[in-house]
Amino acid sequence: MTLYLPIAEMSVSVIVYLALGVSIGFLSGLFGVGGAFLLTPLLTFLGIPSAVAVATSASHVVASSVSGAVTHYRRGNVDIKMGLVMLGGSLAGTYLGVSAVKILRVAGYFELTVSLMYVIFLGVVGTIILVEGINASRQVHAGGGTATRKSGQHGWLEGLPFKMRFPRSKLYMSAVPPVIIGMFIGCMSAIMGIGGGFVLIPAMIYLLRMPTGLVVGTSLFQIVFAAAVATVLHAVENKTVDIVLALILIIGGVIGAQFGSTVGTKLRGEHLRVLLGAVVLLVAARMAFELVLPPDDVFSLATVAGAS
Amino acid sequence: MRRLIRAAVILVVALGGRTLAEPAKEGVEADASTRQVAITSSFTGTEILVFGAVQNSVQPSPEAGTYDVIVVVEGMPAPVVVRKKSRVGGLWINTRSMRFASVPSYYAIASTRAVDEIADKAVLDAHAIGFHHVRMVPAAHSRTEATDPDELKSFKEALIRLKENERVYIKSDFGVSFIGRSLFRATIALPPNVPVGPLTAHVYLFKKGQMLGEYDSRVMLQREGVERYIHETAMSRPFLYGLVTVLLAAGSGLAAAFAFRKPA
Repeated sequence: MTLYLPIAEMSVSVIVYLALGVSIGFLSGLFGVGGAFLLTPLLTFLGIPSAVAVATSASHVVASSVSGAVTHYRRGNVDIKMGLVMLGGSLAGTYLGVSAVKILRVAGYFELTVSLMYVIFLGVVGTIILVEGINASRQVHAGGGTATRKSGQHGWLEGLPFKMRFPRSKLYMSAVPPVIIGMFIGCMSAIMGIGGGFVLIPAMIYLLRMPTGLVVGTSLFQIVFAAAVATVLHAVENKTVDIVLALILIIGGVIGAQFGSTVGTKLRGEHLRVLLGAVVLLVAARMAFELVLPPDDVFSLATVAGAS
Repeated sequence: MRRLIRAAVILVVALGGRTLAEPAKEGVEADASTRQVAITSSFTGTEILVFGAVQNSVQPSPEAGTYDVIVVVEGMPAPVVVRKKSRVGGLWINTRSMRFASVPSYYAIASTRAVDEIADKAVLDAHAIGFHHVRMVPAAHSRTEATDPDELKSFKEALIRLKENERVYIKSDFGVSFIGRSLFRATIALPPNVPVGPLTAHVYLFKKGQMLGEYDSRVMLQREGVERYIHETAMSRPFLYGLVTVLLAAGSGLAAAFAFRKPA
């Protein structure tokens, strides 16, 4: 069964894209990430114009994150106050990111920047998550785990102003770090066309020292709103959101996300982290190979000047 | 008497003139089988038939090959950027680029034999017949200006090759066939990724390298039904369109979350 996409202007197999949606949705439910960091490159690989791939992925992130977020909310795993504080920073960051994209496009370095950011961020974050996850599972197996969080571990973060109480996370800390983290993620998301969960989650664990159980749900909560804003921005600014493609991916995605979050609750947190780290590293490696290996064709076409 | 003689002379001259001159001038008339191609949600590419006739044909049989016919179906011209990667510090990076101000978005050519055998370069260039004769003008200010003629050529070659890979540039050297002394036909493929917009069909008639006639026809390629509605909304009311997409996404997500709710 094939369907003609009104914005991408091509005819695609519904089954292939439905399956893609299910797989991405499964990963997003499992790890609490939007999954766009996988979806965007895969869509481009299947022949969807990259501008359409980036914009449409954002709407997929909304769908897969909202079902995950609701599931986690029902289990009481969302710190709404923390989510809102980060969202504030994220919206400002998105604006900065969009401006950066314009500047980079004019200068002609947009594609390169995106590829390098993918390799660097995914590489670094993937390694950290993987190593940390392996260490954590070793400690658990050794039986000598120091899982309890010591209060007053923030160090220099203690000295920052605007202290707030986050009762759900049992934290009393400055609002500056979450706002800055949100801003950074928002900026990065706008440039790379991703949700940013794979950076947000480690940042929440290692920088904000939030309880691990709340991290996934809170990150999804924040990502839902950030991705919704990004979708509307892409639709208005670039007119590259393909609603038909989005719908196919979303139907697959929401089903996959349900299975993913069910499986996720059965797996140990450390194992989840090892898996997520491995997936992120794989994508980074593929991107890196693309930059290093001689391309099949040194020439490429872009329909509109400056388009990625 | 003198009048009569003069009249007779005029008559003879006129008659003689006609018998001595070439037979009636040949021309070409043509049309496309479909004037309107609708792009609906089930569009998976299609074919159009371009057919026509040679007026005053002197061709003894369809196989004689007295005439050559070239059919060109062209899409709207659009700007295009060709980029070239090269190795910088171990990484493959787009270093050179060339911007073409106007290049046909779609170009299908069918002919009775290879176009370069039908006519010489000057004629093909003048009428923009064939991939290598189409006007591809580099934009006035390319970012990385490739002014070297060899480099310009390599960029043009790459553009044609990439467009052929995308199947929007199609060449069929024996795609036009005569089915009578004067009647000919050619099928032109419109791939699923054909750029939406009006198409122009040009039919050229050649004999011994000389162009005898040209006939143009238009084919409308437009979205119909739901496709059209969605596209128009996306273009004219983008905020609403984006909002609907988000609501649809959030709605599906929530619906799934409730549908899969476990009795806890």
